[in-house]
Parts: sequence; C-alpha cells; structure tokens
Amino acid sequence: MQTKSDSLLQVEDLRTHFHTFAGTVRAVDGVSFEIGRGEIMGLVGESGGGKSVVGFSVLGLIDPPGRIESGRILFDGEDIAGASEDRLRKIRGKEIAMIFQDPMTSLNPVQTIGRQMDEMLRLHTDLDKKARRARCIQMLEDVGISQAADRLSSYPHQFSGGMRQRVVIAIAMLAEPRLIVADEPTTALDVTIQAQILKLINRQVREHGASMVLVTHDLAVVAEMADHVTVLYCGKVVERGPTREVIDDPRHPYTAGLIASIPDPSERKHRLDQIPGAVPDIRNLPKGCNFQARCPRAQALCSEVEPALSRQGEGRLAACHFPVEGDPA
Amino acid sequence: MTAMLEVDKLEQRFNIGGGFLDRLKFEKGRLRAPKRVVRAVNGVSFKVNEGEVLALVGESGCGKSTVAKTIARIHNPTGGRVCIEGEEIQDLTPRQLLPVRAKMQMIFQDPYASLNPRQKVRDIVAEPLAEQTGSWQQAHEKTEALLARVGLNAEQGGRYPHQFSGGQRQRIGIARALSVNPKLIIADEPVSALDVSIQAQILNLMMDLRDEFGLAYLFISHDLSVVHHIADRVAVMYLGSIVETAPCDRIFAKPRHPYTRALLSAAPSLDPAKKPKQLELSGEVPSALNLPSGCCFHTRCPFAWERCAVERPVLQDTGGGQEVACHLLDEPQRETT
Amino acid sequence: MMTAFFSSEFFANYRRNGSAIAGSIILVFFAVIVLAGPLLVSQDPYDIASLDLMDSYKPPAWLEGGDPRYLLGTDGQGRDVLAAIFYGTRISVMIGVSAMVCSLLLGTFVGLLAGYFGGRIDAFIMRIADIQLSFPSMLIALFLMSAFGTGIDKVLIALTAVGWVVYARTVRGQTLSEVGREYVQAARVSGLRDGKIIRRHILPNVTTPLIVVATVQVGTFILIEASLSFLGVGVPITQPSLGLLIKNGFDVLFSGLWWVSVFPGLFIMALVFGINLFGDFLRDELNPRLK
Repeated sequence: MQTKSDSLLQVEDLRTHFHTFAGTVRAVDGVSFEIGRGEIMGLVGESGGGKSVVGFSVLGLIDPPGRIESGRILFDGEDIAGASEDRLRKIRGKEIAMIFQDPMTSLNPVQTIGRQMDEMLRLHTDLDKKARRARCIQMLEDVGISQAADRLSSYPHQFSGGMRQRVVIAIAMLAEPRLIVADEPTTALDVTIQAQILKLINRQVREHGASMVLVTHDLAVVAEMADHVTVLYCGKVVERGPTREVIDDPRHPYTAGLIASIPDPSERKHRLDQIPGAVPDIRNLPKGCNFQARCPRAQALCSEVEPALSRQGEGRLAACHFPVEGDPA
Repeated sequence: MTAMLEVDKLEQRFNIGGGFLDRLKFEKGRLRAPKRVVRAVNGVSFKVNEGEVLALVGESGCGKSTVAKTIARIHNPTGGRVCIEGEEIQDLTPRQLLPVRAKMQMIFQDPYASLNPRQKVRDIVAEPLAEQTGSWQQAHEKTEALLARVGLNAEQGGRYPHQFSGGQRQRIGIARALSVNPKLIIADEPVSALDVSIQAQILNLMMDLRDEFGLAYLFISHDLSVVHHIADRVAVMYLGSIVETAPCDRIFAKPRHPYTRALLSAAPSLDPAKKPKQLELSGEVPSALNLPSGCCFHTRCPFAWERCAVERPVLQDTGGGQEVACHLLDEPQRETT
Repeated sequence: MMTAFFSSEFFANYRRNGSAIAGSIILVFFAVIVLAGPLLVSQDPYDIASLDLMDSYKPPAWLEGGDPRYLLGTDGQGRDVLAAIFYGTRISVMIGVSAMVCSLLLGTFVGLLAGYFGGRIDAFIMRIADIQLSFPSMLIALFLMSAFGTGIDKVLIALTAVGWVVYARTVRGQTLSEVGREYVQAARVSGLRDGKIIRRHILPNVTTPLIVVATVQVGTFILIEASLSFLGVGVPITQPSLGLLIKNGFDVLFSGLWWVSVFPGLFIMALVFGINLFGDFLRDELNPRLK
C-alpha cells in the first residue's frame, strides 16, 4: 500500500456506458467521489440517474452491453476498474459485500441459508467446520434472527421479506468486508420493517468499522443514515457534501427541488413544490446542463456550457452555473 | 346528508389453494381437502363525504387495496354493505353497475400495468365514457380536453402507452378516470411507483382536480408524508381492520393507537432530530391466513397484555372526531415506556 | 411503415442471423412453388390425358436413360416426379397451414375461456387437454382417421383435434397473468363486461407467443399429415400430398427406382427444416425472457 490515504474507496471520472440498439446509454458519465474509512455515503437520484450502475461498477458486475469505458475505481489504493475476474471474485464478498433491493436475487432459493453462509466463510476464511457453524449462528443472532441454530437449515422462501433481508445482511457481514454496497436495501419493505432494517444496517456497519455506499432514491433514508451524500442526475454528479449541510442548504437547484417536493410533515401546504417536466431521454441529452429544461434558475449560459463541479464552501461541491445561494434554514 | 361513499362492516375473504384436487392432502391418516381462506378485510366501516379526501393507510397486506378494489367492485364483497350516494351496490349485477361507474372511478398504482399496451392513449382515455354513452365518437370528442387538463397534448393521444414516462402514464390514468365526470375517485397508491419529483406533480394535479370538480377521494397509501399532505381524514388499517381514524391534523399531532404511533415514528424523515419519539415494533405482520386471536396487533404491540389476546377491541370515540380500537383506552396505566 | 420495419431492431437482428436468413430463403423457395407451381411445370400430373405410360420409370435427367423433359424422372404411370412434387407441396402446405389456423382459432378461444373465467370451466378444459397430451398425437390422429376415413377435410379435423391443446395452454397461461394486471381491472371499472374485456384487452395481449408456436406447428402438421398419408389413412389418391408420393414410390424403392420416393422425401425435409430455422429465430426474438 504505497498510496495510503484517508479514503477507502475513490472513484475517479467513472464512465459506464450501455451500447444498445437504440443508441449508447451513458448511464454513468464522469462520476467521481470518495468514501472515508468507516463512513456511510448516500448515493441519491431518481430512476435513470445512474445510481445503481455506479454500485454495480464498483462491484465489477457490469455485463454486456454495458462496459466501463474509462475512469478509475481505487479500492484501498488498488485500481479495480480493470481488474481481472479472478481478482474481482476474491474482492467481492471478502473485501466488498453487497446488499440488494430484492433479497431473493442474492439468495439461492434451492440451498439452505446455513449452506450459503458456510460457503461464504469457506471461500474467504480458513476456519474449520465447527468454527464456521458457530460464526454463522453468531451472525444470525446479531441480525436479530431468533433460534438461529434451527434457522440454518431453512430455505430462503421460509423467511418473510424482512427476515430475508436480515439473512442477506448477515451473509454480507460474515467475511468482515471493509466496504458494503447496499442498493435500495429497504425499498421493497414496509416502513416499520424498514426502520428495523436500517437500524440494523447502521449498527452492523458502525460496529465493524466498515464503509458503505448506500444507493437509494429516498433522501429521508440518506438523512437518517449517511455521513455524506452524492446526488446524481442523468449519470452525472450534481452535488456532493456532508448530508446535513446538503439537506439543510442545498446548492444545486435539482437537490433543492428534490427536497422541496418531499411533503414536510411539520407544515401542510396546499400545493407541493414540484420540479416541472420529466428526466430527459438519456440517449438524447441536451447540450449544456442536463437539468436546464426543468430548472427555475436556468439562463442562456446553461444551454451552452455544461457546468463543472465547483467548490461551494467547505467540503461541498455542486455542478451549477447559478447555484442556490446559501440561506441557512 | 347522504355520504358520497359509505362502507359498512365490509368483509372480503379469498379462497386460495386452488381447486379440489390441488387442496387434497393426507392429514392424520385421512384424505382431506381443507379450504384455505385469506381474511383480507374483516368488518371495515367508514364514510367519505362529498368533496372529502379520506386516506386509508397501512402496510402491505393490511387489506387497504382490497378495500379499494372491493368498493370498485373489481372483487365482489363476501359481506357488508357499500353505498354510493345512498344506493347499495354490493349486490348489483355488472349491467346494473354501469350507472354507478359514472359516479365512481379508480386510479391505479402501477403506471406500467394499468394501461393496455395495445391501446392508443386516445382510446384508453375515451373508453369509460364510450361505455357509458355507447358512442366512441362522442367519447373521443372529449378526450382532447381531458388530455389537456392533465397536462398532455392532443397529438400525444395517437401514441401508445410505452412511449410515455411513468408520470405521464399516471396522468393518462387520471384522464381516463375523469372522462365520465365522477364524483368519487378511488386512488390506489397513485404515486407510490413514481419518482419523488414526479410524485409532487401528480399530487398537485389531484388536488387541483379536486378543487375544480369537487371530487371526493378515497386515497390508499402506505406513505404517511403523502397522506398528511392530501387527506382530510385518515383511517389506519392493520390486518384487515381499521385501528384508528381521525381528522388528518389530529392523527399526526395526537396518534392514540400504538400501531399508528409506530408507523409515524418509523417513517424516515429528512430531519431525524425532529422526529417523534421512537415506538419500535418487533416482529412482522402475521399472515391473514391465520389471524391472531383478540386484537390483531397484540403479537407486535409493546404494551399488549392478556386481555389483548382474548378480546377484540372495537372503535371507540375519543372526541374530536377520533376513533381508536385499543384496550389501552380503558386501562391507560398499562402504557409504560 | 416499411422503412420503420427495415430500421427496427427485429430486422437488424435478422440480418445478423445466418440461419434465419437460410430458413427464410428456403421458405421463399417453397412459397414460389405453392403459389406458382403449376406454371413452372409443363405437365398436369393428374390429368390422365397428359400422361404417357411409355415414359414410366424414367430416371432423373442427369442419369443414363434420363429424359430432359423429366428433370427428376417419372413414376410408374409416366408422371413427372417434379410436377407431382410441386402439386403435392401445395397440398401439404395447404393442409399444414389450414390445420394450424383451425387449431389456433379453437385453442385460443378455449384458452381465453379457461384463463379468464377459471373455476370449473378451466378445470374441465384443462383436464381434457391433459388427457389429450398423455397420448402421442400421432396415435390420436391415426385413431380419428381410421374412424372418419380418408379425405383432406378429415385430415384437417384430426390435426386440429391434436393441435389445439398447445394454443389453449399457452393462451390460458398468458391470460391468467394478464387478468391480474391493473389494466384489466381498469376496464372493469370502466364498465366493460367480460366479452368486451376479453376481446379488446386480453386477446391483443396474449397473441405474440402464439406466432412462434404457430410457425413451428405448421412443420409438425406437415410431418403428421405425411405420416398419415404414408400409412394410407391421409389424403385420397386423387389429391396426393408429399407423404402420399413417398408411399407411392415406396414399393419400388428397393428395385433401384429410388427417385420416385426419395425426391418427395427430400422436399419435405427441406420444407420442415426451413420452417424450424425461421421458427427458432422468431422464438429468440419474440421471447421477452431472453431479451
């Protein structure tokens, strides 16, 4: 490790494109961010924003017609963007774990969860059989599954949605990964279950001192979980910064609009603030700023020159020619 | 005054497990074909007045969508009464229902599944009116204005649904519901499949239409922040029953039922510091195939005691238009935190 | 409209798919035979007056003793084998296609009923289908043919009786998944009654997978019909299909007069091969799960 730095994961100018018949989809187009050790970063955006593709790119799970075109993904100083499948397989699970929206995509329906957990440990640790079993039981108890020893012989379909997600979290944490990529981990769950799972993820990540990329469409989830937030729009970072500051004092009009359009439980307005229009066709993006057509602050410059990320005070970045001026709430 | 919609002790059960042969199994040495019954809705009563928005809130599987679809007579109720402007509709035949359909329409959850992919938008929007008037031509004359009202243009009427985004599709669904000039719209999670920024657009559109046409909404949702914004009154459902109902502001300010309180405190908030005190639930929702005895909520309730497992609480008026079904009302000292 | 087709993804994939192109070339060849066959040969093989017994059992033109008028030789009655094949192909293809259409209509109708109404109607129809599927289709066809006697109309009935099941099952499955979708519920809320819902909303959405089934089935039907005719329970001798041509030459096959039987056989093989090649391409293209 020559380039020992504070950040565990550093993504630099990542471009992941999909070459479909109807044209090239620039799902991720020049995204950069970094995550410090033990930090949770929220990756927020609406559908089509490219947030999940960033997650999959980090895991090296981009399949044709998709391709990482350029950019670097530095995991603890090692560039894994172009790493071999062999190397990636070693990293996945051991160093970087994943939690998906639908637990059934990561669980094998025809194997008991005990076997799936055991396999994880066999691949990534040199514990003996007895120790592995003990560790699996310990882990299941940690994620709040009672009678863990009996549950090892259950199949995924014998668990409810919330319990399944607990199992997925248990498997993800088994090999003590240093980074967890969670893609909408609670979107499919009910609010009361979501609250339980978020709390569990938070506790697990913090206790193990791991870092996490939390991919979500829900700013409120980010507000409760993440230290930093990166907002994506049409495959580009539009704003980055510490979560609290970004939510209290957004600089990019898109972030501001997104926050304003969430109904605020403490005040009831007759009309919600809305962002007009819809996300542009990603195969046919406008010249200049992608957000111009929906932006209340857009001027002539916005349709000519694409704004670059620029500093907006301490530790904050936004890609806007006419950023919202700070009016601390 | 007769209510726009009145629902009285509505019950909905579904037989699952398929035909006789599918259910056949060996049990205790005998061949049996037990019936498996999902009790989705168990005696739900409420009223929606003209121009009022009643939100029916709950988690998945609580029966809120089933209530909506039973009122719209997509399902036939297995018990109870449904009245539209005083007229009982639960036993009407499809033919007799047609005039009722002109008063009551529905907006669906999934903007991708709720529009026929092989039908042009113009025809989708005109269909309910064409059915009422028996004339496509007459119905088509109105579609342009309808499309314009929901923010689409006439030229888009010639396209197919797949050429539209989720938000636009939901607008098409709204235009379809509006075509017959209904007085009541049943909205089954109309924004839950949409992006946040589009949600706000659709909610605003629905509110504008309410002001303009004096619509009443039965608004089904799992999202409390959305409900808070749009509803006049809120009814909270859990496992097929209403556990609490109150005017909107009151239920957010003074929730009484433990489940309502848990629901309110569980929702993630942009400002976690300002959230109400956490009332955390353990466990998960029991199956509607096998309802718990007594109060359905007792298996997860932090305050439950013996009585809750035995006796099913009924809705009691607690003043201010609030009704709560909980034994804690009788024995408030049981609430220990 | 045409330009839209030529710039579509479907066409682009077609152009890249060698076996699809080969399949469609074969099919075009047969289409020409079916549409213009009688114009391409000089002899009407079933006009007794045009036959000359002196020309019987002439070998193909390129062999010793061959006659340039009869490219693929003649049969025992001096009939041009090529002309007989062209006429026979028309009959085979016509039977295959019409039987497919009959099966498609019957199966789709029954499948819609079963899938939409469910319950007893569904149970009744699907049990019949299950019973039907538990017998080899050849056996059912043979049984029906021996009960009815020969004739093109009887072959059609037998093939339809064998073929409807696959449509009924496909349509039923598709209908079941469509019925649960919200647009069907929306139609009900709009006040539409069952007949209209089925016609306007369900039918247009269940037909795509049938295209593949129908294409491949034409090939299967041609083969079944050929087998029936070969066994002598198919088409009548006055309207010989390719199968019957094979049978007619079969008796002399081992006396060195192989061409009477072998050429019709090769034509059947090529025809079914072409249909299957193209059918496979359609399956890959139209199956949303493979996309």
